[in-house]
Formats: sequence, C-alpha cells, structure tokens
Amino acid sequence: MPGRFTLTTAILLALATTGARADTIRIGVNEPLTGAFAASGTYVVNGARIAADEINARGGVLGKKLELVVEDNKSNPTEAAAVAEKLITSDKTPVLMGAWGSSLTLAVMPKLMDYEVPMLVETSSSGKITTSGNPFVFRISPPSALEAETFAPMVSKLGMKKVDFLVLNNDFGRGAATDFGKMLKEKGVQIGLTEIMDQGAQDMSAQLAKLKGSDSDTIMITSAVDQLVLLFKQMSALGLKKRVITTGGSQNPDQIIAQAGSAADGTMHLTTFLPWLPEKTPDPKATETFIAEWKKRGFQFAGVTESFRGYDGIRAIAHAIEKAGKAEPAAITKAFWSVDFTGLNGPIRFAKSGPAGKESGQSKPDVYLIEIKDGRVVVPTL
Amino acid sequence: MSRLLPFALLAALAALPLALGTNPYLLNALIVTGILTIGAMSLNLLLGFTGQLSLGHIAFFGIGAYVSALTSLGFDVEIGFGYRVVHEPWPAAVGFLLAVVAAGLSGYLIGRLSFRVRGAYFVLVTISFAEVVRLVALNWVELTQGPLALTNIPAITLGLPGLGTWTLRTKLQNYYLVLGVGTLCWLVVASLVGSRFGRAMRGLKENESLALSVGINATRTLTVAAVISAAMAGAAGSLYAHYLRIIDPDVFLFSTTVSMVIMVVAGGKGTLMGPVIGGLIFGLLPVALRPVMAPEAQWIVYGLVLIVILFVMPRGIVPGLAALLARRSARAVPVLEASPEVQR
Amino acid sequence: MEQLIQHLVNTLILGGTYALLGIGLTLIFGIMNVVNFTHGALYTVGAYLTYLAVAALGLDLFLALPVAILGGLLLGALIEVVLLRPLRGQDIDTTMLVMIGAGIVLQSGTLWIFGGVAKAVPSPFPEAPLQIGPASVSWLRLFVLGAALLLIGLTYALINRTKLGLAMRAAFQDSDTAALMGVNVRVIYTATFAMGSALAAAAGALLGPVYVVHPQMGGLAELKAFAIVILGGLGNVTGAAIGGFILALAEELGAGYISSGYRDAMGFLIIIAVLLYKPTGLFAKAERVG
Repeated sequence: MPGRFTLTTAILLALATTGARADTIRIGVNEPLTGAFAASGTYVVNGARIAADEINARGGVLGKKLELVVEDNKSNPTEAAAVAEKLITSDKTPVLMGAWGSSLTLAVMPKLMDYEVPMLVETSSSGKITTSGNPFVFRISPPSALEAETFAPMVSKLGMKKVDFLVLNNDFGRGAATDFGKMLKEKGVQIGLTEIMDQGAQDMSAQLAKLKGSDSDTIMITSAVDQLVLLFKQMSALGLKKRVITTGGSQNPDQIIAQAGSAADGTMHLTTFLPWLPEKTPDPKATETFIAEWKKRGFQFAGVTESFRGYDGIRAIAHAIEKAGKAEPAAITKAFWSVDFTGLNGPIRFAKSGPAGKESGQSKPDVYLIEIKDGRVVVPTL
Repeated sequence: MSRLLPFALLAALAALPLALGTNPYLLNALIVTGILTIGAMSLNLLLGFTGQLSLGHIAFFGIGAYVSALTSLGFDVEIGFGYRVVHEPWPAAVGFLLAVVAAGLSGYLIGRLSFRVRGAYFVLVTISFAEVVRLVALNWVELTQGPLALTNIPAITLGLPGLGTWTLRTKLQNYYLVLGVGTLCWLVVASLVGSRFGRAMRGLKENESLALSVGINATRTLTVAAVISAAMAGAAGSLYAHYLRIIDPDVFLFSTTVSMVIMVVAGGKGTLMGPVIGGLIFGLLPVALRPVMAPEAQWIVYGLVLIVILFVMPRGIVPGLAALLARRSARAVPVLEASPEVQR
Repeated sequence: MEQLIQHLVNTLILGGTYALLGIGLTLIFGIMNVVNFTHGALYTVGAYLTYLAVAALGLDLFLALPVAILGGLLLGALIEVVLLRPLRGQDIDTTMLVMIGAGIVLQSGTLWIFGGVAKAVPSPFPEAPLQIGPASVSWLRLFVLGAALLLIGLTYALINRTKLGLAMRAAFQDSDTAALMGVNVRVIYTATFAMGSALAAAAGALLGPVYVVHPQMGGLAELKAFAIVILGGLGNVTGAAIGGFILALAEELGAGYISSGYRDAMGFLIIIAVLLYKPTGLFAKAERVG
C-alpha cells in the first residue's frame, strides 16, 4: 500500500513541477470553465487569448512573448483558491487575472495577500472586493454602487416613481438591490418589493405573479443572460407589462434577442460595452479590430459583451508589466497604479478604494443604457 | 503486516512534506484532501459500520464550518421581538470546539428524526436536511452574510498557558494540524469499532431484527453513531473554514457529499483504512488529471474511474486488494486454507 | 385574489411536469430497487435531443418530441444492460454509486459536446398568452401540460392494461416468484429502466422549449424529482403524480406569500414534515405501481 501511495505522489510531482520558462512572461488566468458559469468564463478566456496573441504579434512585452496559463476553477470558491495557489507557486506567474464571480474572487484574495501577487479582477461586482483592504486587487469591472452612481442622472429622465427588484440570490444580485435601492431613495423614488431567485432556478412564475400584482412602474432585474431569457419569456406568458431595466453587465443582449424573441422587446439594459455601435465606444478602432478578430475565430457574436473584459484585462496587465520594466509581482503591483490607456469601455486607470494604507485599485468604466426595439439594440433618447 | 499498515501510512504522511519540499500547491491539495478524508472517515462510521447511507453529511461539515467561523468572527443578529444577540469574537480554537459540539448536537437531532426510516427513505431525508440547511445559510443574511460569504476568518491559534501562543498560518502547520486531527479521528473510530458498542453497530448492519432480539437498542445505537460521526464532520468543517479563511453557502453543495461517499465506498466501507485510501486517491485524482486533459474530460474520467472501481472491486479497494493478496498467498502455499486470519 | 388565481394556474402548469419527472424515478425504484441518479442527466439529454432535432434536422417540435423520447428509451436500455444488469444482487448503495458515476459522465459529456452556452428551442406557438379571467398562461405551457398528462395516462395504461405491465407488477410484488412463473425478469428490468429514462427524457424535451437548454439543467430537476417521489411514497406511481402537484402548490404559495428566497426549500421542508408525520410518504397505503 505505501508503494502505491508513493507512486501517486511521484506522478503528481512530475506533473506539477513544470517550471517557468525564461523566454516568456506568464500570466495566470483563473476562470470558471466548467460548472454553473462555464459559458461566461470560456468567453472571458477567449477574449484574453485574443489580447495575448495581438500583443505577441506586435513583439510581446519587454521583448518577451506573453504566455497565458489558463486554469479552470470549476465555478467553486475552494477550487478558485487552490487554482490561484497553483498558478502562483507552481507555474510562477507574477500576475493573475480572475476569477469571474465575486465569491470566486473573494476566495482567491487571501492568497494574493499571502504571496503578495497582484490580480486584475475583470468581472466581479461585489463592493467587498475593493473595500476590504487588499492592496493586490485591481478591478476594471464596476461594482454595483459605481453602476448605480452612473445610472443616477437617468432616473428622473425615465420618469421612475416606484421600483420593484428581482435579483439573483447571491452577492451580485443582493448587492445590486442594496446599492440601486440606496441611490433611488436618494432620488426620491419609492422602493416596493425585493424578490429573490436562486441561481439556476428555471421557473420564476411565482415571483413574477407577485410582481404583476404590485403597483410599481419599473422592475429592476439583476441576473445573468440565461435566466434573463427565461424571465422575459415568462413575463410575456403572464402578461406582465412594466418597464424592465437589467443591471450587472452580464446580459448579452444578442443572446436575449435570439432566444427570447419579441418577449424581450422594450426591455432596457445597463451595459458596460457597446459592440453594436462601435462608433460610440471610446476607442472605435480597437472595438472594431476586436470584434473582427472575434468573428474570425468563429466565436458567437453574443459572447463579446463578456469576452471584452478578458481582452481589456490582459491589455491592462501588459501595460502594467511594461511600466514595471520586469515581470515581478512587487514591481507589477506598483506599476498598476500608473496604468492609463483607453479600454474598450472607457479609460482604464485605477483610483484608490478601501482603507487607507492598503487600498485596492478600482477603474471606472463607462455605463450605457440600451434598449431592445424590434429585435435590435438601440440607445434610447432620454 | 496489516496491523503495521496504519503506522506505516502515518509515518509516510508525516514525512511527506520533507519529500515534497515546500511546494505549496501540492501541500494545499494534500490539506484539502486531508480535510475531506476526515469527512469521509466520519461518514464511514455511519455508512460502513451501521449501514446507513447519509447523503446529507455535508450539512454537519457546513454547520461546523459556519459555527467555527461565526464564533471567531462575532455576530450581531436580531432574533425577533426586538431582541438582539450580540457575540464578541472568541479565539478560533474555541470555535473549533463549539463546531464539534454544534455538529454533534445536530447529528443527535437528525438521528432522532430520521432513524425512524431506513434505506432509500433515510437517504432522501438526509439530502433534504442538507438542502434546507444550505438554504438557511443562503437566506439568513444577517447572521451568515448569505451569498456574500464570511471572509477574513482567522487562522487557528493554539495556546498553552505559560507557554505562549502559536498561530497556524503556514501550509506546513496546517498540514500537521489536519494530520493530527485525522489521526485523532482514526483512533476514535478504531476504538469504537473494537468496543461492545462497535459490535452492536455491526449487529444492526448485518441483521437488524436479530440484533433487536438480543437486546440492542437500535435507535439509541444509531443515534450515538450519528452524533460521533456528525461531530467529526463538524471538526473537519472547522478546519476547512480556518484554513481557507472564507466560506459561503457553497460549502453545503451536494457534490461534496458525493465526493465523500465515493471516497468511502471506493476505498472500502466498513474498513478503517478504506476511507483514507479512497480519500487520498479521489482527493488527488483531480490534481493529477488537471495538467493532462480538458476540464470537462477530467469529470468524465472521475465518473468512469468510480464505475470501474465498483465493477472490479465492489466492496472497495482495500478489501479487494486484501482478498487479492490472500488468494495469492493461498496459491503460493496450497496447504494453507483461506482461513479467516488470512482474510484479515 | 387575482394574484392567488395566477398562483393556482401556475401550480397546475408546473405540477404536470413535476408529476412526469417523479413518475419515471419512482417506477425504477419501485420495480428495480435502484435510486436512479442519472435521472437529471437523462432529463438534460432529452432536452438536447429536442434541440438537435429542431436545430440540426429541421423537424418541428411535435416530431422532435418522439425523437427525444426514443433517444431516452435507447439510452436507458443501454445503461441498464451495461451497468445495472451485471450488478444485479449487489446492494442498493453500490448501484446508487454506479448511477452517480454514470450521471457525472453523462452531464460532463453534454457540457463537452455542446458547450456551456444555453440553447433555445423555438416554439411553434403564438407568443401572446391565453387570458383566463385575471390569470394568463402561455399556449406552449398548456401544450406541455397536455402532453405531460397524456404521457402519464399512457404510462398508467401500460402498467395496468398490457402483458408487459402485468409482468412488471408481478416483478414488483416478488421477483423470484415472478421468475418461477415464467416472467423474464431480466427483460422486465431493462424495459422498466428504459421506460423510466424515456419519461425523464420526455420531461426534458417538453421543458426544453419552455426554459432554455443547458448542461446544468438536470441538477435541480433531479433534486425536485426526489422530493416528489418521497412525498408520494417510494415506488408509488399515483403518489408521485399527486406529489408533483403538491410540490408545485407549495412552491407557488411559498414564494408568493412567505419568501421567494425559500421557494426551493419548500419541497425539502415538506419532506421533513411528511416524514415526521408519516415516515413512508403520504400515500404509502395506496396500491403501488399502478
């Protein structure tokens, strides 16, 4: 029996000790490729690959090619922490990108402190990530408070009087309900019901029947695209006709149009990227190049609203390494503070957030309100 | 030889970090595997020795994790009618002890509740219990932070009066802590199984009506087994919370119970060594598969390995190998009949 | 009041599919003493088969359904012959774990083949709902309810009115005696498992167009099927049918009037309550299997 055990160990050791090669700069990518968030994580990774290939085609960073070490965190926080550990200690990556969901990112964060390695957070929205005093976190996605703040000027233009919430039962959904609720109250808008749905729930007709009976004029929904498709179909089946605004940036309007059909007509969405109208994005040329490459690789167009974050994330990391002058964790952490370029959804530069002395970095992306009209994405005139 | 095996394994595990050097990734995999293996050992007490398959075992693990984390983090909740319960943070070691007690208590409650039924009913009641506990952890946001997760859980501090304190932050310290708790759990299970109580348990498993006729109190025996099993799972959960330093309601995922059951059954239920061997193999299998194949394919292999083990060695790896060895020695020395001694 | 009527209409619609989900599982348990942990995966496979038939073969939904049901039937028969037949006589835990392994393989296989992005199956029915007083209901879901009730009726007829059904009932009562009386128990087991699998696939095929098709869709469906089956008493087909409607009612009212966060807990709370009150399920005394 001990013989069998040492054999296993030997195999493990042989597999795990693949040291860093000197001619490349390794970037650890920690994303969900299986489990509940498999689709989104795969999109982000594909976007990241485009960025790396593009940078390498131009000669790489500091004269070396970028090499992405992609690992699957199985949509599971424990795995996400283990993966971070592997990327840092075994693959010797000096910087990470990840980990899509907030609970995944939160699980990774203590590891960043332990090993003093920086991570670029591309998707997670929980406020906790940049307020808990972790100086190795740099985020390019907006937390829901920031999203609410950007949305605030549109509230009165839309004529919102009373709002109900229908949110996912996790930090993403509940955080959005809290932050948007606070902002709306300050604007003098009444808050009605706050209904919860489980991640992976397929039938929300009970919650919708309740919302149908309320006297509010708007329902704000926070969830990912698959559930939104179901919601719009079920709302139309229940004859529920109120203004709908979705938040969170994981809505993927093209998939909604393709799968929910006319049920999605008239719905509004807060999004951080405008791939349908490249001329209105901050860097139209970069947007067009990215979308052209995405299509060339045979990926679904619907994925770009997710994958652009992976693309921008890797570009931000490349800028940081360039500024650091060497691929070492401490230098890169410091260099993140001087990153300043125009990403696909606005300027990427990090402002300090969280307790003094150990602030995290938070970039402030643009937030757009779009509407689905006759099966097309338009920017509503307010 | 089989008597020496546990000691040899313990020595090998204790020496392992020396062989591994300080590869934190492998140490991490070993620590998490070790914690799950403790869970599997506790499950084996119920499944292997009393024959009751609990598919809600993760509930005790999760309760242990949450109790321990909340004890060491503190909380402030309203319990209705305007009353508030405020708790100031206590040391993590106290959290560990309370986790064991709380998990044991819930084991008692579930035991009283669900040992009224047997077989598939018992399986489904235990699944339901775990799901309800998960949903409470998810929805009682004021206490558990719900899906926002409990973060910054402190590491366990061991202290002896007069000798100072010792905070277990590094991988190596945690590895030996897990190994220590694991060994302790092993000793508890081993001494239980060898005792009169152990014979009562096995009697119930072999033939319940016969056991009842000789005066064994079925519900009491099963409940005591459930309490000890749950307490051990709670200890594993506490170790998990203080090692990972973050927990969210996903600790209650059904798939973790399935992993533990796989460890027990593949290793050999009702044997002392089975859950340990099964735990090591199935805990480290994903680590070994990770570099060589696509993530989806890893899961497929995991499923296939489970099926193959059950087909080739339906009683598990440890009894299977023991039988194989016994047959071989029987063939080598034909005069020797396959006596019970050889089987053992 | 209007809200209540809508909740009750929803219950009826949801209950039909829950009943369909439960029956397949309880049938297999009742006759074969196997807790089928591939039920959720077969549900997923049924949904993907419909998607394939509609998207790749260009069939319309009414023709895609029989394709998916046939697929479930064949896959179920294959699983039984390859995995369960050799394990006959092993204890229930072993077969349960083999089923868990097969479930993992099937579910990861669907993810591998189809990817994680959800697929939509187009519906041939008008988008505008049917208005019944203050409540509304979609035509598609009415069709699904009708088809589910039809399949449940067919299952009943098969068990009660055919020779195969008679043999199944005999095998349920006492497989040894049935074998002595000339019933080929091996064939009965394969037929039973194939039938239960076909029902799971049918549920997936019917709900695929209502929801979206996704590799993870089977997990929740499986847990609900367990709740339904235990509610009705393991192995009790009538009980499972009624259990499906009870669970739907509890979820609707629970989400509507208590808290939507606990919607999915309702099933499990009911199980615990039922087992406290009557440990063998609500309908244990009723005639089992038909």
